[in-house]
Amino acid sequence: MNIAQNKNILIFLLASIGLIVFPHIANIPISFFIFFYFLLGWRFISIWKPTWLPNKLLVFLLTALGIALYYSEFQGIFGRDAGTRLFITALGLKLMEIKTGRDLYLITYLAFIVAASQFLYEQSLLMGAYILFVSCVLLATLVTINSSKPEALVALKTAGLIIVQSLPMAVILFVFVPRLEAPKWALFNEPRQTKMGLPDSMEPGSISDLGMSDELVFRVKFKGALPPPRQRYWRGPVLSYTDGKKWSQVSNMRFGRYLDKLVLKGQPYQYTLLMEPQNRPWVFALDMPAEFSQTLRRNAHYQLITQENPNIRAEYSLTSYTDYNTGYLTRTELKDTTQLPSPPSSKIDQLVKQLHGFDSPQEQFIQQLLNHFRKEDFHYTLTPPLMEENPIETFLFETRRGFCSHYAAAFVYLMRAAHIPARVVTGYQGGELNQTGDFLEIRQADAHAWAEVWLEHKGWVRFDPTAAIAPERIERGIDTDQLVPGGAISYAPTSAAAQEALNWLKQTRQLWSTIDYKWQRWVINYDNKNQASFLSSLGIADIKTMVYWMVGTIAAITALLSWILLYQKQKTIDPIMRTYNRFCKKLAKRGLIRGNSEGAKDFAARANQTLPEHASTINHITALFIKLRYGKNARPEDLALFNRRVGKFKI
Amino acid sequence: MQNDTHHLLDAANQIILGKSHKIRLALCCLLARGHLLIEDIPGVGKTTLAHTLAKLLGLNYQRIQFTSDILPADIIGATIFDAKNLSFKFHPGPVFNQMVLADEINRATPKAQSALLEAMEEHHVTVEGKTYPLPRPFFVIATQNPSHQIGTFPLPESQLDRFLMRLELGYPNHEAERLLLKGQSRHSLIESLPVKLPPEQLLNMQHAVTQVHVSNAVLDYCLAIITFTRTSSDYHCGLSPRAGLALLNAAKAWAFMDQRDAVLPEDIQAVLAAVAGHRLRAGNNDSAAIVAPILARVPIH
Repeated sequence: MNIAQNKNILIFLLASIGLIVFPHIANIPISFFIFFYFLLGWRFISIWKPTWLPNKLLVFLLTALGIALYYSEFQGIFGRDAGTRLFITALGLKLMEIKTGRDLYLITYLAFIVAASQFLYEQSLLMGAYILFVSCVLLATLVTINSSKPEALVALKTAGLIIVQSLPMAVILFVFVPRLEAPKWALFNEPRQTKMGLPDSMEPGSISDLGMSDELVFRVKFKGALPPPRQRYWRGPVLSYTDGKKWSQVSNMRFGRYLDKLVLKGQPYQYTLLMEPQNRPWVFALDMPAEFSQTLRRNAHYQLITQENPNIRAEYSLTSYTDYNTGYLTRTELKDTTQLPSPPSSKIDQLVKQLHGFDSPQEQFIQQLLNHFRKEDFHYTLTPPLMEENPIETFLFETRRGFCSHYAAAFVYLMRAAHIPARVVTGYQGGELNQTGDFLEIRQADAHAWAEVWLEHKGWVRFDPTAAIAPERIERGIDTDQLVPGGAISYAPTSAAAQEALNWLKQTRQLWSTIDYKWQRWVINYDNKNQASFLSSLGIADIKTMVYWMVGTIAAITALLSWILLYQKQKTIDPIMRTYNRFCKKLAKRGLIRGNSEGAKDFAARANQTLPEHASTINHITALFIKLRYGKNARPEDLALFNRRVGKFKI
Repeated sequence: MQNDTHHLLDAANQIILGKSHKIRLALCCLLARGHLLIEDIPGVGKTTLAHTLAKLLGLNYQRIQFTSDILPADIIGATIFDAKNLSFKFHPGPVFNQMVLADEINRATPKAQSALLEAMEEHHVTVEGKTYPLPRPFFVIATQNPSHQIGTFPLPESQLDRFLMRLELGYPNHEAERLLLKGQSRHSLIESLPVKLPPEQLLNMQHAVTQVHVSNAVLDYCLAIITFTRTSSDYHCGLSPRAGLALLNAAKAWAFMDQRDAVLPEDIQAVLAAVAGHRLRAGNNDSAAIVAPILARVPIH
């Protein structure tokens, strides 16, 4: 029977192809997706209704339709998207003309390409596992095509075995084959959907519900000890300009070279920071970043900016000092950080006066203000009321409910009202320690805003009014597991019972996060730089040694596998067969090789013809073998004799 | 005991020239208590072989010429009213003989065919509620014309399975044919043949064949062959368990004729074409070609 008509094979093939194209739903226009699955469905039905298959003209028309579709969404011939669409359309059309076994092979190989193309879009561990699974199904299809009695489970098992056997080789090739860096112009720079990151401005009054997600923003792994939680401020954009409602970055940032020399004190923190893809070039370093790689730049607001594409996950090695002095204040900074849209209202002036803003040292005033937040009826909430008009005053005197942005904005405003240079800093605060992986995970929910005040002899000093009102927020972090949108904010539970209940969930998540981190760190980010450093840690310095190592390990694995296979085979053979095989080996030296299905008697007869001078010995040995192996009553001494005769047999 | 078989084969080889292997297989089939199907074109000595064997074994022999109008009663017999005794009396048909030659079996209708085949399988005949045992030994040699000839009803697979072996005689070789043409008439030669193996001795031998030892190694090989036929794409359907038993029995008989008390893989290989060829029926009639992949690809360990 023609294998191209075998139902089992076709069902297997079509199912695996359906699985392969499916994850591309996020990557190709929906029209391609529908077109492909329409063709696949058609072909599937045609397994039972072969007459429904399109004839040549219809196939031609379908092809024309495919080309039209391709042209309608035309994005050029080169590039990732164009290629993927072309392959998927071609795969769908090829399904309509399965005529011979060759077509099946062609489709299977096309499907492998489509499966691999998924990695151009996503490189997560889960997707890797999924692609490995569909590759297994595809391999099983190949197994099915080549077996006489196709059985799905057996084929899947065989395919799984093949994949497992090939994994060690794949790992070795992955580690040792020189990594190719794609030239810059060949990078896939198609727009991609990036997760919403931190905004570059803030408008606390217009937000009544701070949507918080536990989406990962970056991970940090410290070389040594971790900074205490109250020092974990990850610096993002600095917002100096305000129009009374909205806070945004100043446009003039070219004063960097006029800044005073940064004085760093205390203990340095060395760490690697793994940024998730984002749409802004911001790198959230621990306040204050001191040493960083060439691709990064520290702007005038001490924020790190990357010069590379932030759309891909990137890893940075950084050193920060939590104790620092930024020195004097430049004139631009003074202008920017004391700016107010209009003179403060009398109510504000009243408050500043009440807190001795104008007549006491600056630091005392700050303490007074923080005490004011603490003592008065201020509340920390993620669902504050709207403050459309005059948000600062409404917040300070009426609603008194808000989250970090409200407090930071009000704090900075009051500072400026007292003529003290101050600005809002946004970024992230805290982060959850992943116990299993020993790294910090900073999620979207850790987004934070705090204030910086310039003090004489101290430079810019961080003050976090939120810490005054809700110290738990800073010390413990928000428990994102328990965040209920619109509900009251919940901090990490303190009672042992509640902790217990959530423990397993947390551990599972942390374990998964660790695995994902390692995957990013060791697989996805394994570029030629990482490869070089990893290999040099193994003592492999140049390409030549690398190739030697690769060939050597592959040879070692091959040797190990063959030894295992051969050893197993030898063990299952009984002693009679082993001796007889020795006898055959001796005869093989004279060109007498026993056929796979040649019986001992026939072989002896053949041997006698070639070696008449040994006929009697050969006959005797063969007779003994037959007696031992096939006979009714063989005795142990026969085996001994047989072994002896074979041992003595020489030609 | 085996010497007698040699004498018998020698005598048979004098009659049917150049077919010693086929004759040996035919005797092997007999010793394994199986029935034999000879399939070939007319005139190559099918009937002569049957006749010779019957004569040499001293068996009562009857030939049934199958035609398209033969009835079951013509084969197994009929109950006829006896006017003298005023009672019904069963008149046994030609099947009540130790050796039956069913000539051109595929020319008869399926009904007649199955009457014979049932008798072969059951070793007795039931007519109108009364069971009559068949003589022992009971051996049927059926001949069959190639089924593409006009006016034939090919035996279905299920009935082919009742025959332990199928042989094709084929044309004699040049030398044998020359001798044949030169020599006496086969008929007169057969008439003058002495009995080489009386029936009691044949029964003894048949019993001895069952005592031949089959080792695990041979069983493994036999199973490997059966599994191969079931999984290979060369065959429509594999060998049935009955076919497996037949193969082993024939191999035992072959080993016995070779004066051995244990079966070797070579014995299985020797009888494989004759035993498995008609059961696998892979599109052609050439048994040797049908089983060639088995012989080539199933390894002996």
